[in-house]
Amino acid sequence: MQMRIIVLLTTLFFVSEISLAQNNLPSVKIKSVKKGKEVAFSALADDAKDTILIVSFFATWCIPCVTELDNINDVYTEKQAAKPFKFVAVSIDDSRTSNRVKPFVNGKGWKFDVYMDINSDLKRAFQINDVPHVIVIKNNKVVYQHTGYIAGGEDELFEKIKTL
Amino acid sequence: MKKGLLIATGMFFAQLVGAQSIESLSKGHLSGSFESYTQLYKDDDAIKAFAPPNNFGSNNFLKVDYTYNQFAVGMQYESYLPSIQNYFSTNSANALNASKIVNRYFKYTEMNYSVQVGDFYEQFGSGLVFRSWENRPIGINNALEGVNVFIQPTDFLKIKALSGRTRKLFDYSNSTVRGVDVDVDFSKWINKKDATNPISLTMGGSYVSRFEGGYTGPVINFPQTVDAYSRRLYLDVSGFTFGVEYVTKGADPHTLNKNVFSLGKALLINTSYSKNNFGINLTGRALSNMDYRSEREVVSADANQLMINYLPSLTKQQDYLTSNIYVYSTQALNESGFQADLFYNFKEGTAIGGKYGMKLSVNFSYYGALKTADDILSVGTSNYYHDANIELKKKWNKKLETIFTYQNIFYNKSVLQNPAPDVYSSIFAISNVYKYTKKKSARLVLEHLSTQQDGGNWAAGVAEFSFAPAYSFYLSDLWNYGTAGVPYYGASQGISSSVHYFNIGGSISKNASRFSLSYGRQRAGLLCLGGVCRYVAASYGFTASLTTNF
Repeated sequence: MQMRIIVLLTTLFFVSEISLAQNNLPSVKIKSVKKGKEVAFSALADDAKDTILIVSFFATWCIPCVTELDNINDVYTEKQAAKPFKFVAVSIDDSRTSNRVKPFVNGKGWKFDVYMDINSDLKRAFQINDVPHVIVIKNNKVVYQHTGYIAGGEDELFEKIKTL
Repeated sequence: MKKGLLIATGMFFAQLVGAQSIESLSKGHLSGSFESYTQLYKDDDAIKAFAPPNNFGSNNFLKVDYTYNQFAVGMQYESYLPSIQNYFSTNSANALNASKIVNRYFKYTEMNYSVQVGDFYEQFGSGLVFRSWENRPIGINNALEGVNVFIQPTDFLKIKALSGRTRKLFDYSNSTVRGVDVDVDFSKWINKKDATNPISLTMGGSYVSRFEGGYTGPVINFPQTVDAYSRRLYLDVSGFTFGVEYVTKGADPHTLNKNVFSLGKALLINTSYSKNNFGINLTGRALSNMDYRSEREVVSADANQLMINYLPSLTKQQDYLTSNIYVYSTQALNESGFQADLFYNFKEGTAIGGKYGMKLSVNFSYYGALKTADDILSVGTSNYYHDANIELKKKWNKKLETIFTYQNIFYNKSVLQNPAPDVYSSIFAISNVYKYTKKKSARLVLEHLSTQQDGGNWAAGVAEFSFAPAYSFYLSDLWNYGTAGVPYYGASQGISSSVHYFNIGGSISKNASRFSLSYGRQRAGLLCLGGVCRYVAASYGFTASLTTNF
C-alpha cells in the first residue's frame, strides 16, 4: 500500500514537470458581493486576457488579510496609473461571517471587486493552505503567488507585476 | 469499496500515463499542497503542562489533484506521527498514530452539471442543516464518502443531491446521510432587462436524512432515521439584504442531547444595509435540540466529530491573546441570541478622517437560553454570553498605523466550560505598526484584561519585527498577574502563582511556501477558529509548521 502511494506520487511529480504551467483554471463558481451573481472563476480570468489579474484570498476575521487589502486600497489608484491591472479579493468567510462580508466591504470603501467562496471550493482548487494568499494570473496562467502578509508586502507585489 | 476506488483511481492514472502520449498529458494539470504541523513537548510544572509519552506530535497533510479537461481526480494523504495533543478529542485514547489516504475522489464537471464520486465537501444553504468541510487547525473533517451530483437545468434552478457516509477519523460512520437541495432564483422575473440595480430574490429548500441502524434498545419505533428540512429565502435590493432560514428536525435521541425525543428547530435571520463607506448587519439565531450527528453515540470529548450540520458561534472572531480567553461556543441544544455590526470609513480628507482616513467597527452580541426549550421564539432570561467591541483603525502617516480595541465580555463559565463563576471582563488593546523603511516594519501590541472573577487580571504584549516580504520574528508574553483575593487562572490544575505564557518565534515565506518555528508556553483553554473550538491542554515546547503548494 505505502509502496503504491510512493510510486503513484513519483509518477505524478514526474508528470508535473511537464505540465507545470496551469492553463486550465478552476471553473469553480464564486459570488459577486456587489451584484449577487455567481460567476465561474475561469470566465473571470478569461475576461482579463493579457492584463495582469491579482486575486487576493482573505477573510473578514483575518487581521493581516484586511491590513493587506486596506494598504492595497490606499495605493490602488496610483498603482493602476503606473501599470493597469485587474484586482479581485475573494472572501473565504463561511456562514459564520459570510453575512458580514457585504456590509464590511462597503464599510471599508474598497475600490476593487469582492467575491465570496463560501465553502472554500476555489481555495481548495488553488491548493491554498492559509489566508492571506495572493495569486497573480496572466493569459490564464498562474505566474506568481505569495502566502502571508508583512507590512510592505504590497510594494513587493507591485514591483513583481511590473516584471510580468 | 475503498480498495475499488483506489484501484479505479490508479487505473485512471495508468491509462493517462500509459495509453496517452506525454503531449496530451501536458494538457492536464497536476497540483497539490502540503502542510505539516509538528510539536515537541516538554514538561513544565509552572503551567502544569505534561508532555505525552513520546514528547512528540506531528500532523501532516498531502493533497494532490489532477485535472484533465472536464475530469478531475484527487486524494489526500494524512499522516499522524502521532496526532498533536487533543487534536481529534480531549480523550487522549482517541489520538491517531497512523497514516492513510483518507480522501479520494473522481469528478466530472460540465457547465451545467457535475458528478463527484468518492470523498467530497458540500454545503446546503448556510449549513444550518448540512455542511461537510475541513478545518485542519481544529481537527474537523466530516467529508462524505459517496456520490454528489449538481444539476443546473435552467439558469434559475440549481439542484444538489448526495448520499454518503461521514468520515470518522480514519474510518467512516456506521450510517448513511442523504440529501437534496433546491435553489430557485426569481431575479429574472422581477427585474427589467439591463436594470442598473437588479433585485436578487432566491428561495431554497433542503431535505437531509440520516439512517443509522443497529438500535437494540427497548424503545419501540426508535427513530433510526432522522429527517431534517430547511426552507430559506434571500433578498438583495440595492444596499439592503434580508435572509431567513428555518430548519426542523425529527426526533433524534443521542448521547449528547441525553436521549431526548423532542424535535429540533432552528431559525436564522439576517439583515444588512450598506452603501459606500458604511455598513450595518444584524443576525439573530435560535436553536433548539439542533445537535445533528451521523452517529448517536458521540460523547462530549469528541464533540468535533461526525457533525452533519454547521452551527458556528455568531460572535466576532478575535485575534488578540487576551480576547481569546473568554470565547463563546454555540449551545446547539438550547440557545437564542443576536449579533449586530457597524462598519464606517471616515474618508481621507475629512475632519475626523484626517489625511489618511480612519476606520471604525462596532460589534455587539448576546446569547442566552430559551425560556421554553422547545419554543425557539421564547426569549429567556438566563444569559450565556455577551460581548461589546469597538475598534478604531487610524493611519497617522505613511509610516505609522494604530488599532485601538475595547471589548467588554460577560461569560457564563458554568455553561460554557465547567462549574465556575460568571466572569465579567474588560479588555483594552492597542496595536501599532511602524514601517520605518520601505521593507522593514515593527509591530507592538499591548493588551490588558481586567476581571474580578475567575483567573483575575491578565496583561499581554507582542513585539514583532518584519522584513518584507519574507522574514518575521516575534516575542510575546501573556501574563496572568491576578487580582487580589481571586485564584489564578490555572487554580483548578494547581497553579497558585502568577504565570507568564511567553513565546518566541519566527517565519519565512517565499512564493507559496511558509515555514514557521516557535518556542514557548500554550495556555490551557479553547482554541477557536471559524466559529468552532477545540480544547487544548497546557503545553510547553517547540512548534514548527510548513505549508507549501505546487
